[in-house]
Amino acid sequence: MTVALARRLTLTVSGFGLLAVAAILTSPLVGSTHISLRRAFDRAIPFADNVDAQIFFIARLPRTLAGALVGSLLASAGVVFQGLLRNPLATPFTLGVSAGAALGAMLAITFSWSFAWAGVSAAVAASFLGSLAAVGIVYALAQARHRGLSTNVLLLAGVTMNAFFSALILFVQYFADFAQTYRILRWLMGDLDISSYQPLVSALPLLIVSFVSFAWLARPLNLLSLGDESAETRGLNVVRAQRTAFVSASLATGAAVSVGGPVGFIGIVVPHLVRLIVGPDHRLVLPASALFGAAFLVGCDVLARTVMSPIELPVGVITALIGGPFFLWLLVRKR
Amino acid sequence: MAHWRGYELLQAVDVVAGYPGRPSVLHGVSIEVPTGGFVGILGPNGSGKTTLLRALAGVIRPARGHIRLDGHDLTPLSRQALARRMAVVAQETHLAFDYSVLEVVMMGRYPHLATFEIEGPEDFSIAREAMRATGTLQLQERQFDTLSGGEKQRVIVAAALAQISGAADDGILLLDEPTVALDLAYQLELGELLRERQRRVPLTIAVSTHDLNFAANLCRTLVLLKDGHVLAAGSTDDVLTSEHIRELYDVEADVTRHSPTGRVIVIPVRRSPARSQS
Amino acid sequence: MRALVACLVLLALGGHGADRASGVPHQRGSRENLLFSVSSVSSVMRRSPLPQSAPVPGTAPKRIVSLIPAVTEMLFAIGAGPQVVAVSSFDRYPPEVTKLRRVGALLDPDVERILSLRPDLVAVYASQSDLRTQLERAKIPVYVYSHAGLADVFVTLKQIGERVGHARAAADLARSIQSRLDAIRRRVASRARPRTLVVFDREALTLRGIYASGGVGFIHDMVGAAGGDNVFADVKQQSVQATTELILARRPDAILELRGDPITAEMKSKEIDVWRALASLPAVRNSRVFFLDDQKTVVPGPRVAEGVDLIAHTLHPDAFK
Repeated sequence: MTVALARRLTLTVSGFGLLAVAAILTSPLVGSTHISLRRAFDRAIPFADNVDAQIFFIARLPRTLAGALVGSLLASAGVVFQGLLRNPLATPFTLGVSAGAALGAMLAITFSWSFAWAGVSAAVAASFLGSLAAVGIVYALAQARHRGLSTNVLLLAGVTMNAFFSALILFVQYFADFAQTYRILRWLMGDLDISSYQPLVSALPLLIVSFVSFAWLARPLNLLSLGDESAETRGLNVVRAQRTAFVSASLATGAAVSVGGPVGFIGIVVPHLVRLIVGPDHRLVLPASALFGAAFLVGCDVLARTVMSPIELPVGVITALIGGPFFLWLLVRKR
Repeated sequence: MAHWRGYELLQAVDVVAGYPGRPSVLHGVSIEVPTGGFVGILGPNGSGKTTLLRALAGVIRPARGHIRLDGHDLTPLSRQALARRMAVVAQETHLAFDYSVLEVVMMGRYPHLATFEIEGPEDFSIAREAMRATGTLQLQERQFDTLSGGEKQRVIVAAALAQISGAADDGILLLDEPTVALDLAYQLELGELLRERQRRVPLTIAVSTHDLNFAANLCRTLVLLKDGHVLAAGSTDDVLTSEHIRELYDVEADVTRHSPTGRVIVIPVRRSPARSQS
Repeated sequence: MRALVACLVLLALGGHGADRASGVPHQRGSRENLLFSVSSVSSVMRRSPLPQSAPVPGTAPKRIVSLIPAVTEMLFAIGAGPQVVAVSSFDRYPPEVTKLRRVGALLDPDVERILSLRPDLVAVYASQSDLRTQLERAKIPVYVYSHAGLADVFVTLKQIGERVGHARAAADLARSIQSRLDAIRRRVASRARPRTLVVFDREALTLRGIYASGGVGFIHDMVGAAGGDNVFADVKQQSVQATTELILARRPDAILELRGDPITAEMKSKEIDVWRALASLPAVRNSRVFFLDDQKTVVPGPRVAEGVDLIAHTLHPDAFK
């Protein structure tokens, strides 16, 4: 079976890769407005007059790519956090990342910070900084108590941070008027309508760094699931692996959240589905989750855009409607 | 015994070690684990057995003193290099995810793989061989978490054996309280397994335990630890005496030989009256 | 936290289609935007006035509290200003209100404070049912404000006039506003009507989270009166979350951004520049992106005609030469 690992890896990557490619290719074809693909690609028509092309290249394609980016980052970050915390119920948001991001975005929206910076809006920049701040605090807390990164302290610190930031959010929300509150709620449910390629370009370096780290982390995560000491006696530098996992997964989550907001459930539904199909070996689970996460979120966004057309639902509503029951089923099944 | 190198395979030299909050669990402990030896580390709870084992495995660094492997200090060795020579069988293993038995055993081969390398056919056959030796080959497709305590223990031993296989030098197996979670039958089985393995391949074993009879049966040399000091060390026959047991455990015991099997057995009789600390 | 969020969103979304009654502009220290409150489902359909508590015959109210900025403006415009004792946190016009006490607003009305002022008339929003109950229990007369389109400004004006004993002044004011509006309509009648995207809220300096006026509500009516064709006229909602795709599909000839709070000229030009990201829109290509930061355009009060005038000047500058 292990000699076939290489073969399984190839099969897994091609299978899920195909799914991701199919999703990315079909998503721009679907939307609330009917467009003609032939017209969209007709070079003869000047772009300024070609509404079909405009819709395809300005509205739909960046949105699809954003879905793929956010989905793959959140799904793979979920896998890494689950491995780090040795808990299959961990999500990329367990350690306070999304609460920090939400607080940042909320402050920007409520107090109307208006600056843009490297093509990135105030809410986006603030949410990224907020997520880094939350993660930094959790990390510092976990470090202080233990030589390495105690996973128990990490979890506790993360949950505490979530609660604390949530309280701050409610407090800040008091200063917001109704429209701002509504806007923040919509942001919390995710929004992939980026209408330009700039956010993707800005997030790309973070994506590359994260994925390279995740590739390195695959075997260490397998070992970590045996327990810290067992992993250490099997040759793993546990502290280094934990730090790498924590930092890279947090960066990935922060990048995803700054592009599309804190879209929920991807970081737990996708890893679980993937494990059901390919087993627990992280060398398979990580690439499969990244690919399936992309396909999954792109698919959810298509639903979000078409189910109640011309009204668009926030993509997080769809992921929640799928993820919630799935999560419940998981819990029931495990008991 | 093989040619004398001037030092034993694995040594603790005047080791002072502990944890934040309890800095000297071990107060200057020196022990020797000879090549091909089967050493038992005995002592009551809190004597420092597990700490000593951890220090020997390189998991904790001594505050003073050294741990030496092949005469060289452990410290500069990379974790991976050390893992290829020495494997630890922990008391219990809990997995966070549903790995199969084969996957668990194959994880023993990770120290032998380069960063992005995948296990090859040789790793696979080493794993199979280790599983055969531990009688776990038929379990390979089963999920580890579904096994009984004894089966799990044997799988972990298989993984440990696979981990140190193929080393040009002698491999070392450290076991921490291996019999605590095992049924009687499995205890016997484990002992048999270890003894048999040592007969077939070059293997050095050190066991920390408070099961006197298990130690008496298997270990050729014993180290008695009390309160972080070495009370006595030497061959089992020399060391395992009623006096030592009284000193170590505050228990009056009979140490006799079981005629049918020729084994040394210890029968605890009653508690000793409280004594002043030596 | 997420559960709370989810509930609120579902509530808001559920109310999205059904409740379009109280499109009251809500001023906030630094921004102004349309407010869509989760009001009673039927109010968008209802055209007849909501049941008001009966005005006490003979005595005009002398201590009026108004939670609605548009109503406050009306009160002052018809000469009932001296009778107003407190206003909402967001009132800014006329200047006299700066000296008045504040009693909260739609979401956070300060009941204790209101009661302590011993008012004899309180103007409240239709959705503030808790507040209404408490005032009714205290036997304080209430004027329930509900509002949908431009036409309701006149209805409200008339009702307010009657309630506060300035019916005549109210009628006169209504007439003059109406004739002003008609004059503007006549001016632009012969002009081609540009397809107009009316944005009343979005994230600063990006094109994310754009909220535009749908085909219902006074902003839609105002733009119509000013000679523009709302691109979302067919959407029977007061607000539309306009995605990039929707905007591209509707191809607006003009983009009108309406805000109640003044912003600096520098910020204005930056905000207009942001639309370059959708350079293929006719409005952007022909430099017809306008940013109006005047309260008159977002308060359905006595200054609506001035607001419409401003919009008409923006959309049809040559009609007024």
